[in-house]
Amino acid sequence: MIVKLKVNGEIRSADVSPETTLLKLLREHLNLTGAKLGCDVGDCGTCTVIVDGKSVNSCLMLAGRASGREVTTIEGLASSEQLHPLQETFEELGALQCGFCGPGMIISAKALLDKNPEPTVFEVRDALSGNLCRCTGYTKIIEAVLDAGRIMSTAEAKS
Amino acid sequence: MLLAENTARARALAGGTDLVVDLKHAPGDVDLLVDVSQLPEFGGIGETEEGLRIGSMVTFSELMASPIVNQMTPEIVAASHTVGAVQTRNLGTIGGNLVTCVPSADSAPSLLALDAIVTIAGSDGKRSVPLEKFFVGPRKTILEPHELLVEILIPKKNLGKPSHFIKFGLRKGQALALVNVAAALYLNDDGTVAEPRIALGAVAPTPMFARKAEASLDGKKPDEENLLEAARVAVSEIKPIDDFRASANYRRHLVQTLTYRALKRSTEIASEH
Amino acid sequence: MATKTKEVLESKVKDSEIEDLTAPDNLKVPAKPALKPVVVPVDKPVVYPLDLPESEIRLRTPAVGQRASRPDGRLHGLGQTQYIDDMTFPHMIFAKILRSEHAHAKILSIDTSEAETMPGVLATLTGAEIPVNSFGPTLQDQPVLANEIVRHAGDGVAAVAALTEQQASDALSKIKVKYKPLPAVFDPLEAIKDDAPKVHAPRSNIYASKTIKKGDVEKALKKSDQVFHKQFKTQMVEHVPLEPHSSVAMWDANGRVTIYSSLGRITLGRDDLARTLGKPMNKIRLVGTIVGGNFGGKNEITTEPILAILSKKTGRPVKGTFTRGDEFISSTTRHPFVMDYTTGVKKDGQILGRKIRLVLDGGSYCSWTSTTLGKGGILAAGPYDIANLLVEAHAVYTNKTTTGAMRGFGAPQVCFAYESHMDDMAHALGIDPLEMRLRNAFNEGSVSPTGQLLQSVAIKESLQQAAERFGWKESTK
Ligand code: FES
Ligand code: FES
Repeated sequence: MIVKLKVNGEIRSADVSPETTLLKLLREHLNLTGAKLGCDVGDCGTCTVIVDGKSVNSCLMLAGRASGREVTTIEGLASSEQLHPLQETFEELGALQCGFCGPGMIISAKALLDKNPEPTVFEVRDALSGNLCRCTGYTKIIEAVLDAGRIMSTAEAKS
Repeated sequence: MLLAENTARARALAGGTDLVVDLKHAPGDVDLLVDVSQLPEFGGIGETEEGLRIGSMVTFSELMASPIVNQMTPEIVAASHTVGAVQTRNLGTIGGNLVTCVPSADSAPSLLALDAIVTIAGSDGKRSVPLEKFFVGPRKTILEPHELLVEILIPKKNLGKPSHFIKFGLRKGQALALVNVAAALYLNDDGTVAEPRIALGAVAPTPMFARKAEASLDGKKPDEENLLEAARVAVSEIKPIDDFRASANYRRHLVQTLTYRALKRSTEIASEH
Repeated sequence: MATKTKEVLESKVKDSEIEDLTAPDNLKVPAKPALKPVVVPVDKPVVYPLDLPESEIRLRTPAVGQRASRPDGRLHGLGQTQYIDDMTFPHMIFAKILRSEHAHAKILSIDTSEAETMPGVLATLTGAEIPVNSFGPTLQDQPVLANEIVRHAGDGVAAVAALTEQQASDALSKIKVKYKPLPAVFDPLEAIKDDAPKVHAPRSNIYASKTIKKGDVEKALKKSDQVFHKQFKTQMVEHVPLEPHSSVAMWDANGRVTIYSSLGRITLGRDDLARTLGKPMNKIRLVGTIVGGNFGGKNEITTEPILAILSKKTGRPVKGTFTRGDEFISSTTRHPFVMDYTTGVKKDGQILGRKIRLVLDGGSYCSWTSTTLGKGGILAAGPYDIANLLVEAHAVYTNKTTTGAMRGFGAPQVCFAYESHMDDMAHALGIDPLEMRLRNAFNEGSVSPTGQLLQSVAIKESLQQAAERFGWKESTK
């Protein structure tokens, strides 16, 4: 089946078998390998992408269902001149160790901050509860999300 | 119709958080998937003559963001919040959760406690049954192969009924419940309990009511002793199993403690009203 | 009730009012649910690699006292880091491994003929085709693919390479393996008994031992005012690296093998590959890249030789990535320990002698057990000056998932035991647990259980400072 969708602002299409997940479509057909396969059953969050403004486990969404929708992956966050504030703070605060959880973590954080730029620690924890990290112990990740939120809301206040 | 014609190897796809996983584990079992998640009849939340209507394909995130649900049945919001994590709640639907029918389904107890009614549509028409009757066994509901769960109705008289839901999992996020408890009750003018409901999850083959415990509390004063007694009776009604998450004994202990707490909190809410 | 409901609905709850509900904080709907559109840089398409200035922090390192940042942090955050599973090569195909469901069984036959006829399948492989079908960092007791005996549920028995992962998995179900189940042993204490089923018959289940002796422990125990005994047990732990094991193998026309692998120890890996493939090491190139979490679980080869041979058979690059299920049943795990502690003390809490027996559940194959046994044994007495000591440590085979290296190599297990034991004794003697430790801790110049003269010993100061900072005295009042 042909799946046509908007990925990071560009219209893309691919011919996939019906059982193909959105994750496989992105990774294997569109060569966007930022979203990772960590468990393939919806437990780890490494495959998190944003579909029509909502974060989802792309390993649980069939590619066919993403047809006609708008998908944002980690590759769509930076511009050629600037990192997304989350990418900045994750780098600076050492929130990425092996980095495998990073793209999913940042996408989940973005989904949160887009709606709620000044979250409480509790809200951050809750928003990231579907993203596992085995390296960092989460502390720095949470700091980085809070920091990025601060950057984003000051930027907004200025503009 | 597609489902009716191809019953044996066709499945209706809702949020996919369970079914897509099943497909990966046993790819040969399904030949036809029918995506019902976007059908308008299966979506939406709204108040009708009979009560609060929740389309079966409403996601947990939609439930949590719905002003009506927050206002009328906050415990359904609380229960929805305990399902998986944000990403799974954005995909997973309340109907899918009920149809998958695992004993620990998080959405079941708070719906049961409000005497929810489900509407089923099939090739031979529609029918409505109390949610309690919908569950048959682990992963087994009364749905015939040609039937689909369309919507869930919380009867009008139970909107705003004081209720409390508690999930006990090994972790706060992304955990299956060891025990789920939802209680709901009204207080009569003389302070005695009316229409108590105690719904339990993960302690029997299906989500269940603790009917004897309810009876033991009906018409009584909700004092310490009576609430504890109801909690003790509830323990006698369950059939918990030992598994790697918890022993049956631990589940019994949890049911007693949590039933007491859920009743207590419901009473508090009722007396605040 | 009904009128109230209606009122509420008619007032069309405004978003801002939702906050006033009595729902706990976590359930409140954020005040402004209006979605900001996803910012997508359409006008400026991203071209990788990005040419952005280094972050300031990055330039400040390395320097003592500065906050450090990882050199690869930026690429991780951009999703541009290439882990093995992100790599693809022209004509690459995929391998899957069939794993035993039996904990212990004799393999009577393996029939791959039907699998070979499945759509997309290019090759199959069994253990009999592997030049040297055994490997291991210490003892070479683990088959690459079991072909005579399976020793735990999860042992690989056959492999398939196909055009897609799905085709490879589908074909696995067509491989017919006939087993004769054998009695299995799962408890390490059962496994040391004489009549226990032998995991590597005819060899004994006890496959490594270590003894550490210092002074005369029996005499010390006799002289003690009180002797305490307790058994401690720990469980098996899986590393759960978020990146599952993954490798790609390419066997070129000159017979040189290139393998990209998530392996952490590439030189050791080349050694094992040379052995199993029956090739000199200089024909083997192993490319290690960024590992998505290791924790000790990616310290030895797993499927690399299988992929290499499948590549040879098909002339294609072959990728093999573990499923999360493979990860749990067939990668290594942390050893469960059974630890018996006997400690003799004086009334004032001074330890006179300690006797320890450690039994390590070594799982089905050795892996890094000897290292774990060594470290666990050396550290078993804890950071305490104990003049009379006897440590006996044994590693035993069981029909369980292989146990190997995991952060600390046995240190966390024994630490759990000796510190719990310490608390129990302090409690029984009515001594403050901190005091009990201060009375026994190493001093500058203390001698370790293995005779090492210790320098720069700061344990007492550390304990005291820590206790002060978190208010130990106040909290125990
Ligand atoms: S890969 Fe999708 S949640 Fe783990
Ligand atoms: S940084 Fe390694 S899993 Fe999070």
